[in-house]
Amino acid sequence: MLKKVWKFLSSMQFAVLLLVLLAAACALGSFITQGQSYDWYAAAYSPRLAAVIVAAYMDDMYHSWWFLLIAGFLCCNLLLCNVLRLPQLVRRMKAEADPQTALAGPVTVTRAGVRTPERLFARLHMPRPARMEAEGREALFAAKNRAGLWGAWVCHLGILCLILGFGLGQMTHQEYAVYGVAGQSKAVGDTGYLLTIDDFRVDLRPDDTVEQYTAAITVRDAASGARRSAEISVNRPASLFGLKFYQNSTGWAARVAVTKGGEPLQDAVLCVGEYLRVQDMPDLAVYFNAFYPDYVLVEGQGPATASGALRNPAYLYSVYYRDDIIGMNALLEGETIRIDDYEIRFTEPQSYTVIQVKRDRFTWLALAGGLITLLGLFLALYIQPRRLWAVREEDGTWTVSGYSAKGGVLFAEQFEDAAARDG
Amino acid sequence: MLQFENMLFTIVILLYFAAMLLYFVYIAVKKDSLAKAAVVLQAAGLVLHTAALVCRGIGAGRLPMTNQYEFATSFAWGLCLVSLIFILRFKFPMLGAFAAPVILLIIGYAAMQSRAVRELMPALRSSWLGFHVSTAIIAYGAFGVSFVLSVIFLLRDRMQDQSFWDKRVPSREKLDLISYRSVSLGLLFLTFTIVTGAIWAEQAWGSYWSWDPKETWSLITWLIYAVFLHLRIRRGWKGKAAAIFAVVGFICVIFTYIGVNTFLPGIHSYA
Repeated sequence: MLKKVWKFLSSMQFAVLLLVLLAAACALGSFITQGQSYDWYAAAYSPRLAAVIVAAYMDDMYHSWWFLLIAGFLCCNLLLCNVLRLPQLVRRMKAEADPQTALAGPVTVTRAGVRTPERLFARLHMPRPARMEAEGREALFAAKNRAGLWGAWVCHLGILCLILGFGLGQMTHQEYAVYGVAGQSKAVGDTGYLLTIDDFRVDLRPDDTVEQYTAAITVRDAASGARRSAEISVNRPASLFGLKFYQNSTGWAARVAVTKGGEPLQDAVLCVGEYLRVQDMPDLAVYFNAFYPDYVLVEGQGPATASGALRNPAYLYSVYYRDDIIGMNALLEGETIRIDDYEIRFTEPQSYTVIQVKRDRFTWLALAGGLITLLGLFLALYIQPRRLWAVREEDGTWTVSGYSAKGGVLFAEQFEDAAARDG
Repeated sequence: MLQFENMLFTIVILLYFAAMLLYFVYIAVKKDSLAKAAVVLQAAGLVLHTAALVCRGIGAGRLPMTNQYEFATSFAWGLCLVSLIFILRFKFPMLGAFAAPVILLIIGYAAMQSRAVRELMPALRSSWLGFHVSTAIIAYGAFGVSFVLSVIFLLRDRMQDQSFWDKRVPSREKLDLISYRSVSLGLLFLTFTIVTGAIWAEQAWGSYWSWDPKETWSLITWLIYAVFLHLRIRRGWKGKAAAIFAVVGFICVIFTYIGVNTFLPGIHSYA
């Protein structure tokens, strides 16, 4: 029984079943929006379907136990297949180079009456044949591309490394997002590092489209005080203290000043999407809804921006009192919000940057897996083992035979063409 | 330069159309010299198509591989290139007769897209763009050829005048092997596409795999062709079943290219 289970787990049928299941699960996952709540699915589809999605973990399919189980079984299958096939492969490698095995083995094509077999070997780009004796007759033998036998094995190894690298990376990686404007310093999660955004600039083209986002950053190790600086932009991350820093995205921020009875009370940089609670009246808060660098009011649509350039800045805000919205408007440069004694002013619009910080110790394994898979596929699909042998007949001519498991009829045609050219 | 590209693009469509007509006439009148002329026309179309892509690249100041129009025209170019290689390598002009309508369909799809040259968003400004997209073009072209070969395989025995088809279409066994070769080429290049894409994604988005719909469907396509190869090699699943599988695989390729962009937007939505 155990032997049967073992055999099934390492079988090709099981591998095909797993690949089909994986493809079907991936297809399903691509159609169902991931990471939403039951309410979202109920509104988007139907309450019944939403219940099924949540119950079957299809809302986070790629991390669901059953998806991981399929991937785990695939790893088992690949590992067992490779382990069990290794001795066979080694034997086949030896056999492929052994003339006695070739002479007794299968034949793809054969031709009698060849006068100069060496030329046929050369025309088929075979290595120089070895001379020997077979059943009392003179014989020639050559084999090539034996490395191709390892193709599937190497490919399986690559996929194993890839899945392993990806899985370990998912389990152990650390990821943080730090956002802020130039001059701000923020802690990078619980890593003990402090990130300072020295500068952030958005390079615009003449047509106001963005060419590049660039941030100059300094990272300080709070424990040792060591500092390292780098410039990062999209497609050009930097590695500092074993962490990788990516220029991820950007948005707008502004300086918000609160005065009470004409006296300064509060001054802070607020990013779009953030609240500012008034210091001496926490029930009162201002929410920064949106920013329009080139404000226009489009009829029927509301506020919009004509371009990405800072030509006519406007700040869309909401005022909350005890979590109830009491006002919402777009504020132009120079305008203020007045609530009793309080006056709130938005100034100095600037871009903030979102810096993604990541540590994944297994990326190299996934990358190596990808490259090994490529090598394996190349060996499996393009390095086709073939052997050619010739036996001298009593009349002095040679009977030349060839074998290529994957070449089949194409190898036979190539052989016949080469033989015909030599007459 | 872009005006010149527009003119060349129109000529290319006309040349591919003329090649297709000539292939059809070849089948109708059974004259082999017409097949040779059709292959020459297809090759001329490919040369001018290459020139059109070069002109667009010079005019845009970047590789012409970043939007629906550019990828569609490059896809047609890849299919034309791979089909021509297979036609010449296997002395099989009949392949052109079946490939030409597919090439025309794809380039027709390209013609329906906006040809405006837009500046690249920062994420696309990477040297990986060339490796990632050009390998995808070859992969899709090779899968397109395997699709065409499978259609020929499935139709082969249904054709009237068997003697004509027997002489001009390789045996079922050889057809099956040629199809296997094109799938092999496609799978190898699709793997290149996925690996280079993952390396690029790691640099641009901080994650080499995000289960984005385009990534996911590329993986699905890869899995389908992997199943195809396993069944073919291990179970001797050749002939008709393999041909049907190759057709299904190409439907997946088309969905990955057009369907995903239309129905499943993600971080690849510009492509």
